[in-house]
Amino acid sequence: MISYERFELKNGLRVLVHEDQSTPMAAVNLLYNVGARDESPEKTGFAHLFEHLMFGGSLNISDFDEQIQLAGGDSNAFTNNDMTNFYTTLPAANLETAFWLESDRMLQLKLTPKALETQRRVVIEEFKETCLNQPYGDVWHHLSDLAFRIHPYRWPAIGLIPQHVEEATLDDVREFFDTYYCPNNAILSIAGPVKSADIRRLAEKWFGDIPAGAIPLRQLPQEPPQQQLQQRIQRANVPVDALYLAFHTPARDHTDYYAVDLLSDILCNGNSSRLYRRLLKEQQLVNAIDAYITGNIDPGLLIIEAKTREGISLETAEAAIWKELERLQNQAISKRELAKYINKVESTLIFSETNVLNKAMNLAFFELLDDVDLINTEAEAYARVTTADIQRVAQQILTRENCSELYYLAGSGDGF
Amino acid sequence: MPNRKLPPPIHDIDRIQLPAIDTAQLDNGIPVYLISMGSQDVLKLEIIFHAGRPYEHQRLVGRATSRLLREGSAQYSSAEIAERVDFYGATLNIPINLDTSSIVLYTLSKHLEALLPLVADMLTQPLFPEEELENYVHRCIQSLQVELSKNEVVAYRTITELIFGEDHPYGYNSLPDTYAALRREDLVRHFENRYHSGNCQLLLSGGLRANSLDLLNRHLGQTIPRGVRTPAQISTRDTRPEQLWIDRPGTVQTAIRIGGRFHSKQHPDYHAFYILNTVLGGYFGSRLMTNIREDKGYTYNIFSTVDSFHHAGCFYIGTEVGNEFTRATIEEIYREIDRLRETLVPPEEMKMLRNYLLGSWLSTIDGAFNVASIVRTLVVEDLSFDDFDRSVARIRQISAEELRELARQYLRREDLWEVIVGESAPSGN
Repeated sequence: MISYERFELKNGLRVLVHEDQSTPMAAVNLLYNVGARDESPEKTGFAHLFEHLMFGGSLNISDFDEQIQLAGGDSNAFTNNDMTNFYTTLPAANLETAFWLESDRMLQLKLTPKALETQRRVVIEEFKETCLNQPYGDVWHHLSDLAFRIHPYRWPAIGLIPQHVEEATLDDVREFFDTYYCPNNAILSIAGPVKSADIRRLAEKWFGDIPAGAIPLRQLPQEPPQQQLQQRIQRANVPVDALYLAFHTPARDHTDYYAVDLLSDILCNGNSSRLYRRLLKEQQLVNAIDAYITGNIDPGLLIIEAKTREGISLETAEAAIWKELERLQNQAISKRELAKYINKVESTLIFSETNVLNKAMNLAFFELLDDVDLINTEAEAYARVTTADIQRVAQQILTRENCSELYYLAGSGDGF
Repeated sequence: MPNRKLPPPIHDIDRIQLPAIDTAQLDNGIPVYLISMGSQDVLKLEIIFHAGRPYEHQRLVGRATSRLLREGSAQYSSAEIAERVDFYGATLNIPINLDTSSIVLYTLSKHLEALLPLVADMLTQPLFPEEELENYVHRCIQSLQVELSKNEVVAYRTITELIFGEDHPYGYNSLPDTYAALRREDLVRHFENRYHSGNCQLLLSGGLRANSLDLLNRHLGQTIPRGVRTPAQISTRDTRPEQLWIDRPGTVQTAIRIGGRFHSKQHPDYHAFYILNTVLGGYFGSRLMTNIREDKGYTYNIFSTVDSFHHAGCFYIGTEVGNEFTRATIEEIYREIDRLRETLVPPEEMKMLRNYLLGSWLSTIDGAFNVASIVRTLVVEDLSFDDFDRSVARIRQISAEELRELARQYLRREDLWEVIVGESAPSGN
């Protein structure tokens, strides 16, 4: 059970506080409600590039990291399709330093040609390191492109192509900052040995005078239901053949989210899961296999991926996977099998409460979903899923019409 | 309106102390370290065996033996082990490093009793089925192929092999043939000679209950056989620094590793060298990150790390850079090394470094599992608990002069190995 207090400043900044007196460290999380899904198709990778620029100094502070390190803290950030999230952990006694830093860069970021030029290069090197120079590194580019026709999930957060990042101008980034980096588009959460009243005072002091912005209404094109199997064969310079199946899933706030998450666990979470047992251990068709959901806010994907054993074709492995998917559709799973995965979820949730940063991040994320109480009610939502629910979502989701299939073949390809 | 020009005051961290650790001994002599902290009903059990590379009679047998522990024992098949662990919502990991292999069990406290018989059976009566070994070898060879297609993996393997020597337990690299040569008898022999009380240490952390120690004793103290600590077998050979460029045409980034010899964590210079390494490439504000990423934009990441094992150690700088930046990056790395040898770290930077490290030390003792990982390092390396206090004191007291002295001793160009993996530079560049 995570207790929390929630309040809102006049400028629209939402604040969440969780008191945990058992630790000397405090976590400060600041989530901006802007992600790669808000980008224009001609300027992708922008939200992520901007995350890098946020560390380049602000109106009154020449170097963000220097000040955090001076306060004994550590800071980082991530960007995904849905949001941009900045986080800091530091000794609780120096908490106010994080307020000073975060509020100053929300008020007025220092955007210089030199900083933009450097971070453009850094992000292009990141693009190369994570996507271009890694075996299977461009799989996300292929899968998003195959599965989504019109929704902006059709490009990954790193960007569609490095050129988009190369072409970013100072005007572009200034406009992005003015549009999205406003208190009424942000959620601040604090966890640690703090008092709510002190956080209220600090939030008022440092963020209270930052003017609200006019946030554009998010109007994303919704992906129509997929009508037929999408297929792509990619040859690349990788040592082993790999297979990816992607199925469209309901949105994060859909009641079936929990059943679909459990469905992916039943398929391949842990060494006793179905695909691991049957394909890897018993039939020995694959040397690696996994299944998971992307967990996006808008309707996302359930992914199954496998690397086949030498001498086994992707077709053979895929046929064996479909056999398992059909079994889930045709026969209800046992109560015990479902209980196993509900136990696993319970355990994972309790373990995640041992860390202040986790708690701060989760509070902000659930507030973004407009239901911060989910932090305490999700375990029950998982526990309510029935074996009939699992069979039903398997029948709805794990179909060929709803599937995008990527064959990644070993050999020499043309690269990206 | 706040005065934003005026930073809030920074408070010094005056107290960083390991919480009291209870120690005990099981009936068979295995030392137990108990870290009871936190309000959540969760536990981490780690059973450590000094059964890594320095204790192998054959290459990779340590890794293979530990990986196959979960693949079937006298009372539980591989499938039953997996099913039981998953059913209780637990996680069973078998992490290995060069010196040790461990069994790590994360579980809700209430399920420890139900899971211990299974852990005990894995550790006392494993079967090492032939077919499981064959599959394991097959999977390893295939994933090795994937790993070897990454420049940074090839660079790491090469530089550690060159520094320690290819016959050294810390230097040799796995190859398809090394895996293929593994026989069931080798695993059985390694298991019988190494998995006993003399090579074992045990840590339990989290929300302990009154009967936790009794449970450990009943299931592990009375089953794991007694034995005496196995001495390490290490053949050292003199190696000399060299430069190697491995050409991999068609890659868009080049991996760079530059490093040298260091010592184990018991060496008197360890704590100070760790601090020097932090200045060079151990945190975001480090010299390498500030210059090569944040000023030049040659890379997404550059770091320097100290790898101190039980019997020896090394350190290395690592980065992946766009091919066109390879030469310039290498130059800048040496420039930063020379700067540490020639000039003193200025007072403002010393202050930032000290505060950053003290803050990060404070977070290493935040929570039972973090404390457990500190205690693990101390007991595995045969260090006493006050070594932690010594490391804190070193951070508080170290001077810029001492850091420069240390740089002059350990960061000499002529003592460094250099491995570059990527597209070879055009001639004349």
